[in-house]
Amino acid sequence: MMPSRPALAERALSWLLLAYPPLFRARFAARMHQSLLREHDAARSRGPAAHAAFWILTVGDIIRFAAALRVVAFRHPPRAEEGGPRMRPVLSVDWRDAWRSLRAAPLVTVIAVLSLGLGIGANTALFSILNSLVLKSLPVRDPDRLMLVDHGSWTNPIWEEIRAREGDISDGAFAWAAETFDLSSRGETDPVEGIWASGRLFEVLGVPAVIGRTFTSADDARGGGPDGPVAVISYDLWHRRFGGEVGVIGRTLVVERVPFTIIGVTPRGFFGPDVGRSYQVAIPIGTQPLVGGKGGVLDGRSDWWLEIMLRLKPGQSEAQATAMLSALQPQIRAATLPADLPAQEQPRYLSDPLKLLSAASGRSPLRSRYEAPLTAIMVVVGIVLLIACANIANLLLARGAARRRELTLRVALGASRFRIVRQLLAESLMLAGAGALLGLAVAGAGSRLVVAQLSTMANPVYLDLSFDWRVLGFTTLVTITTAVLFGLALAAGVRSIAPNEAVKEHARGSSDRRLGVRQFLVVAQVALSLALVVGAGLFGRTFFALATRPSGFERGSVLIATVNVQKSGANAAARPELFERLRLAAAGVPAVRSAAVSFTTPVGDTGWNTGITVPPGSTLTRRERTAWINAVSPAWFDTYGMRRVAGRDFDGRDQPGAPLAAIVNRAFVLRFLTGNAIGARFTQAGRNGTSYEVVGVVEDAVYRSLRAEMAPTMFVPLAQQTDLGPSISVGVRVAGGPPMAVARSLADALQREDPTAALSFHSLEAQVNASLTQERLVATLSAFFGGLALLLAGVGLYGVTAYAVNARRVEIGIRMALGATATGVVRMILRRVGWLMLAGVAIGGGLSVWASRYIAALLYGLRPFDPATFAGAALLLAVVGALAGWLPARRAARVDPMIALRDG
Amino acid sequence: MSNMDMSWRRTSLKKSPGAGHDAAEPIKPAVFYILLALAEEPTHGYAVMQTVQAQSGGTVPLRTGSFYRHLSKLIDEGLVEEAAGRPPDDDPRRGAYYRATPRGLRVLARERARLATLIAAVDALRPAPRRGQA
Repeated sequence: MMPSRPALAERALSWLLLAYPPLFRARFAARMHQSLLREHDAARSRGPAAHAAFWILTVGDIIRFAAALRVVAFRHPPRAEEGGPRMRPVLSVDWRDAWRSLRAAPLVTVIAVLSLGLGIGANTALFSILNSLVLKSLPVRDPDRLMLVDHGSWTNPIWEEIRAREGDISDGAFAWAAETFDLSSRGETDPVEGIWASGRLFEVLGVPAVIGRTFTSADDARGGGPDGPVAVISYDLWHRRFGGEVGVIGRTLVVERVPFTIIGVTPRGFFGPDVGRSYQVAIPIGTQPLVGGKGGVLDGRSDWWLEIMLRLKPGQSEAQATAMLSALQPQIRAATLPADLPAQEQPRYLSDPLKLLSAASGRSPLRSRYEAPLTAIMVVVGIVLLIACANIANLLLARGAARRRELTLRVALGASRFRIVRQLLAESLMLAGAGALLGLAVAGAGSRLVVAQLSTMANPVYLDLSFDWRVLGFTTLVTITTAVLFGLALAAGVRSIAPNEAVKEHARGSSDRRLGVRQFLVVAQVALSLALVVGAGLFGRTFFALATRPSGFERGSVLIATVNVQKSGANAAARPELFERLRLAAAGVPAVRSAAVSFTTPVGDTGWNTGITVPPGSTLTRRERTAWINAVSPAWFDTYGMRRVAGRDFDGRDQPGAPLAAIVNRAFVLRFLTGNAIGARFTQAGRNGTSYEVVGVVEDAVYRSLRAEMAPTMFVPLAQQTDLGPSISVGVRVAGGPPMAVARSLADALQREDPTAALSFHSLEAQVNASLTQERLVATLSAFFGGLALLLAGVGLYGVTAYAVNARRVEIGIRMALGATATGVVRMILRRVGWLMLAGVAIGGGLSVWASRYIAALLYGLRPFDPATFAGAALLLAVVGALAGWLPARRAARVDPMIALRDG
Repeated sequence: MSNMDMSWRRTSLKKSPGAGHDAAEPIKPAVFYILLALAEEPTHGYAVMQTVQAQSGGTVPLRTGSFYRHLSKLIDEGLVEEAAGRPPDDDPRRGAYYRATPRGLRVLARERARLATLIAAVDALRPAPRRGQA
């Protein structure tokens, strides 16, 4: 049965016709509607294709013609003598008048649009970053039903227990771990972002393969499934490496020197389960033993490396899933109890609850790291926008002084106040709209720039920054709010318009209330700028304090080579000997002063810690009983510039079979040792309680983070290690010049020793700088926006003072005629500026004290209320204020009394 | 008043309204067909569109949007007007009837003459232009 024409089509067509200008609508809309309906019915009877074509063509036509007609109507308003109706559509008049009035003062308009563009652009840029980091959902099926098993990472045995019960708990579960994989077959490393994925990861996420297939549970078998080791690659890698060829399926991809078969490609836009990181290669967790790493991770009950996500069953609530998981908790925990866990820790392990957390927007280490700083910057750019609004209101008000006669004339001719306010709002909306367009362009470039700053060599950051409805909605909201804000400030001036002023030739308006509005705006600007300058000062000093903090090692002149010897065939037992040969090879390179090999490097991205056995009855907490460990070769301390304070360095005596030796730092001595440190013994908790003899003491040095306090650290000889992984850091201190300059000869030397080694190089300096990315970014952005705010406030202050001076020309002329000196006039003007500044600084100071509490967590080495920073900011503002006041004051002092009195 | 000055200057740069089709220059095919359809007797909008479709063999795509855009221009230029009466048995859905004004007929006649001259000129160029592969 062919239903009669849907009412919806009828309504949609009449809505579409609203696009036409009102005059045209009045003449033709009804007829066009009839005509369109007949066309519609005819098209519909010809089939769905014709029906669709009708809608596409009709919408296209209407948009095209309506826009053209509107442009014509805008440019050539119908005039009475042409027979157009006398009552012109009110709103279109507003727009046209607004356009004319903005065009009449191009400089003001351009400045206003530029500052708005910057303000709105900065806001949109920050918001789009926050959006992709915090708000956006993962591009997968029903992201709302994904739950993350919370509390950090999990061991593979725990995952296997959950996997065995996944059907009971949920609609499916998967586990993954982020890892950087080396895709090179030989020589220099070729690192890409990758993930270890459980068999059903793509299936549970609901991400199909574009070509080929994704993993199955069978692929995730230990040591590889029926098809051997297989890999799924991202759309991006498919195009970058394989030119998007379909023949990529079945090709071999070398991952960590092990050949994998490519079985599928994931869709474009799917960046993996981690937000802020884009995966390129996924390989099954089960292939871990092939690729190596520390041995036996799959059965490691103390190796916490996997993230786990579940998908809720249809109709299942979060609470139900949590309850189900809690019920299974005892079995899961009991089955995975680490063998070496000290007895007193066991109850804790068994009872630590398995919690669920909504994972619709994915999991993100980046988020937890950057959410607070980005929110702080978001507030900063919001304030900058406020200041920009105040500035534009000020600018327009200053121009309004010139338009006062126009507005009074309008009032005198019968325009209502409402009519005039509406006109002013139309102007500000138009300005804000232009600003928003510019802002979107600024935001597009700005957000990419900021994200590029976030990326470091170790952690390339990937965020999907495309504008979605949230970003566009946000920008629209900001734009309208902005327009209303400064439009209302303008409108506040309208109240003082009196019609009878229009007939006076020179209304001198001594009681000009708009000056009051403008002064208020200036005080607000000064206050807000002070808050921003204080913030910039605090962040800048934090960065400076961290960057110059005594770290305990010398970061200059050190080059680090990360070496992977997986392919050499040397097993864990043979590796120490191979590493020693690499060290000697590196030390033989010309321009290398000393060379050393270690498990990790200062401020590196790997850490290793262990519990230390303490005497019974100790009050140390569990956290306080741990110490950092590093396994190092001889000459390590000299290479990294760490000072030894007592005992000896590691040397030939520390061989396998010799008594286990350790070098500890001062913090370690203070916490764990009593009496003479050299020769003292201590034991490692768990792991059969290995016992060490202290042979040396070194000065404290930063282990992993410049923000952290100096922590107890122990160093063990690399030569005595039995379970080393294939990856190691070779550090060399060069005699002079940039460390990267020796990379080539170092690579040659190392590859002569092991031709299969995979190498990558970076300087220690770069590694330290990368660890301060967040602080540098926050300091740079807040300094930039603080400077911008300062500039805007200065311009605002200058504007209002210049205006006041202009308005008081006659008065100043009289004063000077009566004997006031130029100095006296300058002082008079500056006093006024001084009051405004003082009010602004007082309010701003209070605001800063209140607001600084919220950024306390982001600071280092200083309290939020830092008197020096506050005083410095106030001083800076005072200088800017003095300059902004002095320029017009000087002009006031040059007023010629005769001219001022004559022209009055 | 400055506003008046401005709009006067702007319109004076263009041809004054209505002057467009008095000049002896080509008119758009769609306009030509619309005038043609309205030349004989008053016709309502939808019928004009169908006539144009038929007469042009579909080469002039005229849909509601473009038709009314042309129509409004033609009315503004005084080439087409709304016809007062309509047949007594008419379907009320048909809306208004239009017809070409005397000036519209003049423009049509001139365009016809122009096209005739053009075709004569083309035919005179070569004895027998090859035609008709289609």
